[in-house]
Amino acid sequence: MTGRKLSRRLSFGALFVPVVAWMCYLFLLLPSTIVFPISFGNTKEMEFPPSEWSLDLYRQFFNDSAWWGAMTQSLFIATVTTVFTAVLSVPAVYALQRARLPMSSALTHFTMGPLLVPVIVLALGLYLQWAPWGGLDRNLTLVLSHTMLATPFMMISVGASLRHVDPALENAALIMGASKVRIFFRVVLPQLKSGIAAGSLFAFLISLDEVIVAYFVTGPETETLPVKMYSAIRWEVSPVIAAVSTLLTVVSMALAVALMMLERKQRSE
Amino acid sequence: MSSGDSYLSKRAGGMLIAPLFVLLLVFFVYPLLLTVWQSVYENGFTTRPYEELLTSTLFAKVLRTTFDISFTATMVSLFVGYPVALHLSRQPPGRRVFYLMLVMLPFWTSILVKSFALTVLLGHAGIVNQILGYLSGDTLHVTMVFNRFGAIVGMINYLLPFMILSILGSLLAQDPNLARAAQVMGAGAFRIFRKITLPLSMPGVIGGVIINFTLSIGMYITPALLGGRKDMMVANLVDFYTRQTLDWPLAAAIAVVLLVISGVLVALLGRVRGGSGTMGAMA
Amino acid sequence: MTTELAEKSVAADTGSMMIEVHRLTKQYGDFRALDTVDLSIRKGEFVTLLGPSGSGKSTLLNLISGMTSPTSGRVVINGVDATDMPTNKRGLGMVFQNYALMPHMTVFENIAFPLQVRGMKKAEIETRVAEVLKLIQLENVANRRPRALSGGQQQRISLARCIVYNPSIILMDEPLGALDKKLREDMQLEIKRLHAELGVTMLYVTHDQDEALTMSDRIVLMRNGRIEQQGSPETLYFKPDTVFSADFIGSSNLFQGRLEGEGDTVTLTAGKDRLAVELRSEAAVGPGDEAVVLIRPENLHIADGAIPEGTNVVTATLLDTVVLGGVVRHFLRTEDGRQLVAQVLNRSDRARPKRGAPVQLYWQVGESRLLKADPTFSKQ
Repeated sequence: MTGRKLSRRLSFGALFVPVVAWMCYLFLLLPSTIVFPISFGNTKEMEFPPSEWSLDLYRQFFNDSAWWGAMTQSLFIATVTTVFTAVLSVPAVYALQRARLPMSSALTHFTMGPLLVPVIVLALGLYLQWAPWGGLDRNLTLVLSHTMLATPFMMISVGASLRHVDPALENAALIMGASKVRIFFRVVLPQLKSGIAAGSLFAFLISLDEVIVAYFVTGPETETLPVKMYSAIRWEVSPVIAAVSTLLTVVSMALAVALMMLERKQRSE
Repeated sequence: MSSGDSYLSKRAGGMLIAPLFVLLLVFFVYPLLLTVWQSVYENGFTTRPYEELLTSTLFAKVLRTTFDISFTATMVSLFVGYPVALHLSRQPPGRRVFYLMLVMLPFWTSILVKSFALTVLLGHAGIVNQILGYLSGDTLHVTMVFNRFGAIVGMINYLLPFMILSILGSLLAQDPNLARAAQVMGAGAFRIFRKITLPLSMPGVIGGVIINFTLSIGMYITPALLGGRKDMMVANLVDFYTRQTLDWPLAAAIAVVLLVISGVLVALLGRVRGGSGTMGAMA
Repeated sequence: MTTELAEKSVAADTGSMMIEVHRLTKQYGDFRALDTVDLSIRKGEFVTLLGPSGSGKSTLLNLISGMTSPTSGRVVINGVDATDMPTNKRGLGMVFQNYALMPHMTVFENIAFPLQVRGMKKAEIETRVAEVLKLIQLENVANRRPRALSGGQQQRISLARCIVYNPSIILMDEPLGALDKKLREDMQLEIKRLHAELGVTMLYVTHDQDEALTMSDRIVLMRNGRIEQQGSPETLYFKPDTVFSADFIGSSNLFQGRLEGEGDTVTLTAGKDRLAVELRSEAAVGPGDEAVVLIRPENLHIADGAIPEGTNVVTATLLDTVVLGGVVRHFLRTEDGRQLVAQVLNRSDRARPKRGAPVQLYWQVGESRLLKADPTFSKQ
């Protein structure tokens, strides 16, 4: 009882803080959730609340091969990006923490670089780089660009995981006669599982939602869902965008929830 | 003592990091160097792009717009975000996870979706105008999108989570016994906030402001979708010169200016945070 | 014929050595962590490396395991020069202070791991693991994760994981350091039992002298990267060669002063006290030299009536008495401020001198030990 009284008196502006907070939560949530009801409206105009409910917008989406194709393209790019990011970053994290390389802390900071540069600058640079080399409108260019953008997130997640792995385990395995390859796959990798999973969710989400770099380096052959959405919102504003948004948001939120649960699990371990 | 020399040799370590560093050299370092190069080299060294920027009224206007919008968006985020962070910091851990979810779920939603949704919400027939119309007896209609207001609202929506998490970090790092001790000594709630909570949360505030401002000046999607023609920002200008006028050196020069400004801000952030703390808030 | 026999016996001799370390040195910059150390360990022997932190014992262990490479010198394991051999080819076993059990594997999988490394068949692995689990009396936890077990259980599993693949030697780096006192004593006996039953060679590192005295066939006492003294626990306890050994192992009462007189028994003058002491040739001190006399607490008696012949006597004040179950310790101070400890067995009819009371202390001249003074070492 005294504890409650204490916190009452402590909370400055007992009403102000929660009211502002709740208005803010609403402001943050509203845009991501309003697309759900709109997406079940009719195909002629966007309404909230919809005057009649239907699945017409989804029918329209799945019958339009341009939309449908952009969706599968995005899922494909995000999947390959995730695999590339993990395959490149996990060994790098391991080497940076275990091999006592010269300047390993500077090298680790360097891998955070893509996070610190405005995306528009990177997008322009990649455009200037690949336009004369004929590398635009290619899946590989897009995947590797997204891999670059996702690298810091994977490095952070896996790096945090590896810091919790006792190096004595690797020494113990070595003394027991295990080869370095076996140690990596049987001792280290299994313990990085949740870090790699979190990093992969980050990488997948980043690639799936990324607009600017994709807008600069893709073309008609490689257009991703966000790029198509961006042009659609700018030029034709069709209600089908609500259905696309809903689908994208469902995927993002599912991954974000998975990510948060993973982080909680990691913290409790 | 440590367990002795590492069993992973420097050579093996080098081989493990090599693929990633090749990728970063080709897809990160090279594009940046190329951008700088393009801004100073056209059939020989030149300062033409920079001279043009200095004399361009368009660039001056866009730069001003960018700073205006970024400043406003950052300040509103700060004044809205602080009470939210305070609210989060006062929750018991279990409930805090729930409230954090309310912040993080929109954070992970595509910026396109959020911008699109805001055009619908704030548009002429959007709910906000419906409510205003209902309240005013159909006399009041406010244009809230495709102008500066729309751009700023969209940016705040994007920026708030960064601000909230940055401030929350420094609020949670405070020892709750400090406030308790002050209370025992007879300090009132407001005095405790002003003398203890607020000063101790300044690193989070400064960090959040720098992060928000850095993100703001590089914003591309939100001003393009929610702003008006007059609200073009620096990033949009880069796109304009790249694709519309095909003046790549000029686009590159603008990118270099943006790179330098954000570089200074990131360095500043590094000093506030004492390290690579930019991501700490997000990860 | 005779030369052939002699050769054979030499071969047999080296054949019975599990570890031989020759002039091993490890230099880190200006700091010499290990300084030209020679050491041999026989098959089946239980050897303890004892010393304070920074004395070089962990360095020596890491050099034997191959996790560190030496600046100079050789390491021979089971008759084979292993100096340049990678750790995973040395066929060793090791038990770590923090157990180093794989958290993502069950107890069974942990113990099976070294057998899988050796390419053993699944069925055989199962029987072998079951055997060692029975040996350490933990059959019922095979499918649990190590973290679900107590520290003592985890360390027994860590031991089992070594035993299961019959390494030529088991290295133990402060294996009981993380356990509480009672558990530590149980584990000491458990490790001794396993050593006796399996006849495995063990090299044990600790800074705890009681642990070393309890468990070892031989103690190697280290100091500043060198071996100070080695021998059986009895030798190190009763016949220390140096002041450092005397002080590090067991409690000790030390009197330092100059030697005078002639013959086998000379006099050492320490402050006001003139003490008779027997000369020893190994101590390498003679009349005129600075020397130290060591008396173990159990040899220092508090006078209760007549004082026997052939003893040294000093006067002191009783500061405090501590009863440690079976033994009683008296803490005393001489007139010139020297702190002394006397230990007697606890009996219900023992004399109980009062705190602050002056007492006479005495010891048999033959039960004290003369040591060379060590200018680099001072106790008080």
